[in-house]
Amino acid sequence: MDELIKRAKELLEAGTVKVVIGYENGSADKTRALFAIEPKDADKLIFDSRCVMNLATYITKAEVKGKGKMAITATLPVMRAIIQLASEFQVNDSNLLVLGITPESKMIEFKDLAEVEAFVHKYTIEIEAKYSEKLEKLDKMTPSERWSFWIEELSPCFKCYACRAACPMCYCHKCTVEFNQPQWIPVPSHDLGNLEWHMMRAIHLAGRCIDCDACYNACPLGIPLNLLTKRMLIDAKEHFGGYQPSIKADHLMSTYKPDDKDNFIM
Amino acid sequence: MSKIGVFVCHCGENISATVDCARVAETSGKLDGVAYSVDYKYMCSDPGQSLIKSAIKEKGLTGVVVAACSPRMHEPTFRKACAEAGLNPYMCEMANLREHVSWVHEKGEATTEKAIDLVRILVEKVKYNQSLNAIKVPVTKTALVIGGGIAGIQASLDIANTGHKVILIEKDPSIGGHMSQLSETFPTLDCSQCILTPRMVEVAQHPNITLYSYAELESVEGFIGNFKVKIRRKSKSIDEKLCTGCGLCTTKCPVKKIPSEFNEGLGMRTAIYVPFPQAVPNKPVIDREHCTYYLKGKCRICEKVCPIQAIRFDQEDTIEEVEIGAIVLATGFSVKQPDFFPEYGYGKYPDVITGLQFERLASASGPTLGEIRRPSDGKVPQNIVFVACAGSRDEAKGIPYCSKICCMYIAKHAMLYQHKVHGGKSYVFYMDIRAGGKNYEEFVRRAIEEDGVNYVRGRVSRIYEKNGKLIVKGVDTLLGAMPVDIEADMVVLATAGVANSDAEALAQKLHVSYDAYKFFAEAHPKLKPVETNTAGIFLAGACQSPRDIPESVSMASGAAVKVACLFSQDELTRDPLIAVVNRMAPPVYSSCVGCFLCVSACPYQAIEKEEIKNRAGEVIKTLARVNPGLCQGCGTCVAFCRTKSIDLQGYTHEQMYTEVMALLNEY
Repeated sequence: MDELIKRAKELLEAGTVKVVIGYENGSADKTRALFAIEPKDADKLIFDSRCVMNLATYITKAEVKGKGKMAITATLPVMRAIIQLASEFQVNDSNLLVLGITPESKMIEFKDLAEVEAFVHKYTIEIEAKYSEKLEKLDKMTPSERWSFWIEELSPCFKCYACRAACPMCYCHKCTVEFNQPQWIPVPSHDLGNLEWHMMRAIHLAGRCIDCDACYNACPLGIPLNLLTKRMLIDAKEHFGGYQPSIKADHLMSTYKPDDKDNFIM
Repeated sequence: MSKIGVFVCHCGENISATVDCARVAETSGKLDGVAYSVDYKYMCSDPGQSLIKSAIKEKGLTGVVVAACSPRMHEPTFRKACAEAGLNPYMCEMANLREHVSWVHEKGEATTEKAIDLVRILVEKVKYNQSLNAIKVPVTKTALVIGGGIAGIQASLDIANTGHKVILIEKDPSIGGHMSQLSETFPTLDCSQCILTPRMVEVAQHPNITLYSYAELESVEGFIGNFKVKIRRKSKSIDEKLCTGCGLCTTKCPVKKIPSEFNEGLGMRTAIYVPFPQAVPNKPVIDREHCTYYLKGKCRICEKVCPIQAIRFDQEDTIEEVEIGAIVLATGFSVKQPDFFPEYGYGKYPDVITGLQFERLASASGPTLGEIRRPSDGKVPQNIVFVACAGSRDEAKGIPYCSKICCMYIAKHAMLYQHKVHGGKSYVFYMDIRAGGKNYEEFVRRAIEEDGVNYVRGRVSRIYEKNGKLIVKGVDTLLGAMPVDIEADMVVLATAGVANSDAEALAQKLHVSYDAYKFFAEAHPKLKPVETNTAGIFLAGACQSPRDIPESVSMASGAAVKVACLFSQDELTRDPLIAVVNRMAPPVYSSCVGCFLCVSACPYQAIEKEEIKNRAGEVIKTLARVNPGLCQGCGTCVAFCRTKSIDLQGYTHEQMYTEVMALLNEY
């Protein structure tokens, strides 16, 4: 990605941005986030098929945001996250420059977020076949079978909150689980505590989750958390005409239209 | 340490017949933090309230739980009593032992247990209650009246005469409504238009009334005293200021075969038209659905003949934004058409008409100039049958209610027929004659006894055509269910009065309740008949249920007084049960992350952005802020906020959590 390195250097040298967020080689053949501040740091930038972590999770962090204008290496899921974050007033043109990487691994520098949005809108969020199968299987279960499935799947969770840390949409300074007057969501990792935590997280992501699988990839125990959010995407499609992150659109869950179907009320 | 008083009301026998009130009081007296408990026959009575007041003073109570009826009924009463005894009114809560317990359960152990549970959770809640202060909001002293029938006209005039401004909107080109279509009115047989049109003119000329005809409600935001209303003024395609109403255009319009709405399809009108000669405003509109110019792009004859060039083909709808303090809904009703009745030929016999069509035939301004002539061939019917309860009081037709006005207007119709067609025979098929009202019964007797109308008690099973006659197959249940066949020349169906087709959409726009038949619902069937459940919106006339003229007029005057009461105050006091975004010490300021998803969730547009700036004036953080004047305390934002940064005063997270835990935990 010589082109990417060259552009990152230019941007840092010219002072157009204060930090370039991208990927670098980490240990054990893994990649990790790079925050290039000096032009020479940019030499470490890489991009290959191992770069799947959603970097958008850093652009809402005070430590990164505080440095000044950011540039970010953004794959399609990252761009989607950026647009959703822009619609939630977390980033804007004045603090973020997007160095997009197309699904064909080509770099495009976007003039502004509106251009990013236009690019994102060329693609729809599709659930992969392997997940659709799993979801269909879950659908066919009786409610009690489904309950047992999730209790079992979630039982190893020890609430390391890696899912939350990896998720670009989990940028709140004070998470619901940290709200302790009263403690609505139990902190301990017992069955109920785990279930309530993951259900709450899934509900908070309904109409916001851009389906990047970062939560699932981050989970050290391989809990299929993304089945919950994918289910939400399917529901969004069935009931509200589908989800696509948009800078100005009304939020899927908070917008009432008189012609909304009410068949989800049981 | 809390000192809570629990006051258990018997509500006469309403609660005590099912719930062991003494036990509820005794058990709650032992709860943690309860300093005093007592049961009493009528807690809302003066001695009942004194019981609460003296307990507050003598025991130094810090909170009060009144276990009685619904808070909708008496919460203000008890909060006021608490305030009079020096306790903050919002330290008083109500447990609903009537609607939630005694009225819905049988007498028994479990019922009393439930009552105790409800008291228990509120005792726990009150421990977390905080003193709150009422909010004051200004009142915009302009009323909006929707619908220009007799109810809307009366309400507008009454409000305007108290010195307040009124905006009256009417969807049709003229005000007047159904009353302007009527021939004569029961029980005095005075001419409907003669008594109505002076009122219509008064509306048009009243300095306090702004009349927007051909206009509809676009949207409503806000709340009592402070509504923001958008009115769509449909394009009339004329310049109203220029037009003198000379009517030349309406005589020259080549499209002359449009069924006239005013004449219920019995007469024709042109595409540019004034609905009737006494219309207010008496200026034409162009019906774009039928006008040749709008359909084919050619014609413009009206433009050529207009002596003052007042025709505006390119005129567009305009949206008028107005600030309103109160709204009176007076949108009236519709009648079922003959095509609703398969047994009466689905409307395929032209001489089977509705009562409203008969009004037009009998009216001097109607298509026959008041002569009773049947629509098919214009002959004077020698035999006429009136069918009461066509649709009404018929569960099978989905209209189980009585349309109320039909018995009286049928008597009037039959009487008018007998007066106009000498020697004609009239028959009325009825189920019961409902003639309750001043001079009403006498009026019906007069039809039967003096005018010789044949009343047959029974229903009509079928109407069909045979040799040019309409065969009406009925039954006389007073003669042992003897079948009665009448060869009629014309049949008049007293078709059911129903809600307007757009009533539901309008109710949803205004957030007012409606019943199963889409009639708007009053706030209380006896004591709040002109109020709706939405504060500041009132009802008048047949939009609430079918009503006759005197009832519509009295209801309109009632609604007008309610509006005048509201406008007599400069400020309204509102409960401070509103949402608040938390604030914390710098550098955090609030747990709100400023995602503003609450903004779109709020149905009242009450959430705005608040910028926190440093001394240099730079924005450090942008937070959500709830406008206390607009917030209605619905709690949608509270449920929506991921960081739980919003709390609802009086229903805080802690209060709700405590209630749930009290219910789940054993005591």
